[in-house]
Amino acid sequence: MDVNIINPILAAFTEILPQIGFQEVTKKGISVVGSTFDYDGVLINLAVVGSTKGVIMIGMDLDSAKRFASKMMMGMEVTDFDDLAQSAVSEMGNMVCANACTQFCKVGIEGLDISPPTLMISQGGKATLPVPQTIVIQFTVDNININVYVGLM
Amino acid sequence: MGIKVMVVDDSPFSRMMIGEVLTEGGYQVVGEAESLELLIETYNSCKPDVVTMDIAMPGADGFECSRELRLNDPKAKIILVSSMKDEESEAEAKRIGISGYVQKPVDGETLLQVIKNIMSPDSLFEQLLERGLETFKEALAQNVTRMAKTPVIFSPIENSSTPYISQGITAVIGIIGQSAGSMIMDLSVESAEKITEAMLRRPSKNREEVLAMVSELANIIAGIACSMLNKRDKAFALRVSPPSLFHGNTAEIVSPSVKIQRSLAETDFGSIFLGVGFKKGSKLWM
Repeated sequence: MDVNIINPILAAFTEILPQIGFQEVTKKGISVVGSTFDYDGVLINLAVVGSTKGVIMIGMDLDSAKRFASKMMMGMEVTDFDDLAQSAVSEMGNMVCANACTQFCKVGIEGLDISPPTLMISQGGKATLPVPQTIVIQFTVDNININVYVGLM
Repeated sequence: MGIKVMVVDDSPFSRMMIGEVLTEGGYQVVGEAESLELLIETYNSCKPDVVTMDIAMPGADGFECSRELRLNDPKAKIILVSSMKDEESEAEAKRIGISGYVQKPVDGETLLQVIKNIMSPDSLFEQLLERGLETFKEALAQNVTRMAKTPVIFSPIENSSTPYISQGITAVIGIIGQSAGSMIMDLSVESAEKITEAMLRRPSKNREEVLAMVSELANIIAGIACSMLNKRDKAFALRVSPPSLFHGNTAEIVSPSVKIQRSLAETDFGSIFLGVGFKKGSKLWM
C-alpha cells in the first residue's frame, strides 16, 4: 500500500474536518479492495486530473450523512437529506480533496486538480473505479463512520 | 450603485491602504474583518460583491477563512491579497474556488483591474454554457452511430433541478480546465447490453464487458467533446478524468455545485441520458 497516497488523505481529513466543526477524527482502518465495491447511502465522487489521475470517493450511510450535514450546519436538525444537506456534504468533499491535492504536492505528486463533486445516493449501489485496486480508508468523525475510497493511477 | 467590497486583513495599515485604493477606484468598502472571528457575521450583514483576503493572519489563515466564507456562501467572490505568492499557494487558491490573486505590496491599478474582471461576465464560461451540451451531443451522436451502427435522435428533456434517477449504469467523468465540470452518461443495463452486442458483433459474455463498453464510450465522448471545445478556444484548456461507473440498485444522481444541462439520445437500443455542466472558473491571477 502506497503511503504517499494514504498519508496526504489522512492529513487532509485531520486538517480540514476540525475547521468545519468536527472535534475528533480517527482513522479506524485501511484495506484494499478491487475496482468494484458496494455502497449504501451517499457516495461523493471527485475526479482527480494531473500527474496522477483517477478518483477519490467519500461514502457514508444516509443516517450518517444527515448527522454529518447537521453538524456542519451548527447542529441544525436534518431530517431529510435535502438540497441543503447535499450541498453541505459535497462542499466537505470538495474541501478535503482540494486540501489532499496540496498534501500530495508535499510528497512530490504535483499539479493535481479536482472536478466538482457528484453525489450518488443509493441503497445497494455498486461503484467501479477506473483502477484495478481501490484503497479504502475508514474514519470515524465524531462517531460518524466515513469510508474514503482512493483510486489513483 | 457601486461595487461593494469587504477587506479582510489583520493589519490595520493594510486595511487602510487597500481601502483607500478601492475608494479612489470608485468602489465602496462596506466591511472589514481582521480574523475568522466576526468574518461570517460581517460578511452576512454587509453583503459585499467581492472580498479581499490576506493569507498570513494569526489563528485561521486566509485559506481557512476563504473556506469558511465559501461554506457560508458558495458564490462568495474572494481575491487573495498577500505578499505570499508561490505555485502551491496559487494552486490551493484555485482549488478552493478563489477568484483572483494579487501580490502585496498592492498595485492599485492591478487590484482594480482584477475586481473589474471578476465582476464582468465570464465569456469563456458563457461560451461553455452555450456550446458545451451541444458539443457533447455531437460527440455522442457521431461515436454511438459509428461504433454501434444506430441512428441517434435527441429528444428534449426538462432541464429541471429535480434529481436524476439512474436507468441502470451511470458513467461520471470529471472535467478540469479554465472552468471545471462534469459529464454524466446514463443508460439501462438492457440498452448497454444491446450496444455492447452491436459493437462486439456477439452477445456480451458478462457484466464486466458491458461496464467496460460504457466506460470506454463515455471516455471517448468526453475526450472528443473536450478536444472539439479546446480547438474552438484553447483557453478552455479542458482535460478529462477516467470514468467512474455506478450500477447495482437504482441511484439518485446530484451535482450540488454545478447546474447540469440534460439531453436524452434515442437510439435503436434504447435511450442514453447525457448531462453536462460547468462551473465558473477563476478570473484573473496577477
